[in-house]
Amino acid sequence: MSAEARAGRLGFFTLGRLAWRNLRRNRRRTWITAVTVAVAVLLMQFAMALMMGVERQSFDNLINYQTGHAKVFANGYYAAREDLPLDRGIAAAETLQVRLRAVPGVQATAARLTFQAQLSNGSDQLPCVGIGIDVGGSDTDVFRIPQAVTDGAYLEPDRLGMLIGGGLAEVLGVGLGDWLTVLAKTLNGAFEAVDLEVVGVLGTGNPAIDRGTFLVPLALAQTMLAMPGAATEIAVRFRPAAREGATLGRLRAAAAESGLDARGWREIEFDFLALVSAKRTGRTVALVVFLTVALVGVTNTILMAAFERTREIGMLMALGLRGSGVRRLFLAEGALLGLLGGAVGTLVGAVLIAWLAVSGLDIASVYGDLDIGYPVQDRIYTAFDAGALLFGWLLAVALAALASLYPAARASRLDPVEALRHV
Amino acid sequence: MTAAARLTDVRKTYRVGDLEVPAVRGVSLEIEAGAFMAIAGPSGSGKTTLLNLLGALDTPTGGAVEIAERPTAGLSARELADFRGAHLGFVFQTFNLIPVLTARENVELPLQLQGVGDRAERRERVERVLTDVGLADLMDRRPTELSGGQQQRVAIARALVKRPTLVLADEPTANLDSATAGEIMALMRGMNERLGTSFVFSTHDPLVMEHARRLVRLHDGLVKSDERRDGGSGVR
Repeated sequence: MSAEARAGRLGFFTLGRLAWRNLRRNRRRTWITAVTVAVAVLLMQFAMALMMGVERQSFDNLINYQTGHAKVFANGYYAAREDLPLDRGIAAAETLQVRLRAVPGVQATAARLTFQAQLSNGSDQLPCVGIGIDVGGSDTDVFRIPQAVTDGAYLEPDRLGMLIGGGLAEVLGVGLGDWLTVLAKTLNGAFEAVDLEVVGVLGTGNPAIDRGTFLVPLALAQTMLAMPGAATEIAVRFRPAAREGATLGRLRAAAAESGLDARGWREIEFDFLALVSAKRTGRTVALVVFLTVALVGVTNTILMAAFERTREIGMLMALGLRGSGVRRLFLAEGALLGLLGGAVGTLVGAVLIAWLAVSGLDIASVYGDLDIGYPVQDRIYTAFDAGALLFGWLLAVALAALASLYPAARASRLDPVEALRHV
Repeated sequence: MTAAARLTDVRKTYRVGDLEVPAVRGVSLEIEAGAFMAIAGPSGSGKTTLLNLLGALDTPTGGAVEIAERPTAGLSARELADFRGAHLGFVFQTFNLIPVLTARENVELPLQLQGVGDRAERRERVERVLTDVGLADLMDRRPTELSGGQQQRVAIARALVKRPTLVLADEPTANLDSATAGEIMALMRGMNERLGTSFVFSTHDPLVMEHARRLVRLHDGLVKSDERRDGGSGVR
């Protein structure tokens, strides 16, 4: 920097050194302020990690229990998917899967047959969604249904059994070993009924599944609905290392060649993702407001420091320090408080977050059965994200500097003559 | 000889509520380059106000102040700050060193403000001036580890390090015992003679006045007497 441009200001390092030593003048006050900053930053970091953990878990939940990474449909099915139209199914599901598995980045595929049904316990009848899953085959390569069986066991290929969502089982008053009648309209429009034993109860944490879905062996569903060898969708799981966007692009191309329509999970769950994004924005605003309020202590500390050093400010101005230089001096002190307090808060937060990222937090014991608005199971795990931690820390620095803006601006407007007279 | 500063019918009036209080009521003075001048007078005679005007800390309500041949009228706060940084040095009654900085760092501050970018050059200049004021062995002490006289020596070094046109000292010895006060005056006089830097200081101590080569007495905001003692007293 040229001498002209630097005139009336102090360099970065001089400023930092001066700020550090000035903070050490009143150590107790500095520590009290830094600890408040640390606690606020700790809470913010923890809240962010928890929210991020819940988000990630809810995404995993959707992928593991509901959508896979992508689904391939017959043309026209996706637009009409609310009606679960059987006449827009995929006829030769097996051969198609072989082709899809050859797409680079694809790890596994599974055919599913989703249909509308009524479930009856003999006295009550409820409309639900039934899904035929490839029990002996590849469903577990794409989905993680066995992990969600909270009671009983997973399906067996040749057994007349069903897995039923926990909420649905409760409403129907059924448990393991009870029989339910499944009533559904076949592809031809005829009604078909079959009695199935409840072999397992599902607790995925996802209300769409737990409160309204039952799973049956795919072959059974195909027979019942008069759709041998057919499916309504092929669910696809990508390899862990595969890049999602690129793999999806290739999958789309391969599906299009077969006259089919591939959709990524983010598209299928668009509504949920929009909700998550809105919640995230609201939360971020709330956290920034919280942190700003918590940092009022910094404002007070800098205000007092500036007051105590009024004559010193006058002297510096006499030496040629411009008002902007005075402002920078106190902004640096505030920012340094944020840097120190933020470092402590972030470090302690990082340890706590790392611990809960492994051991998890039992939300059932905290919230009971309360629906927290995300499809997650009983334990939630914090997300340990170094980038997010760094962001939280820098946010604290920026907000601490912002909190010292007022006292710094006030000090910068002092009249040197008045300031020098200050006792 | 060019003037270090020139005051032409300078007036300064302060407003206290609805009251107008005249502190300086029409002072004309020319301070020649290399001057060693005392401004004396009782409290309220306008010494400090005059010094603030000469120090570009304040601007007059009437008349003209020129420092290093440049008028200060119409300069903004920022321009005044830059002007002080470039041309003026200050020594205060209460020393006003920054307590968290060492003597060396305190003296380096004006150079940093001036943007003397070369660290080696700054170091060299700081050490030279601190040696000149007799603190070669105490450069790394903080103000609290120095006596009053030593602190004032640091302050003089701080005022001189940027080689200003004019050094202003407001009652520089008022907080010192008479022996130390004498030493400080001798030091300032010595620096004035060696470097040619002009010094203007205010005082109401007759012993201190004796060191001056020119003595201006103020009364009620007006010059009462202007006495030149060229080749004068020096140290006794």
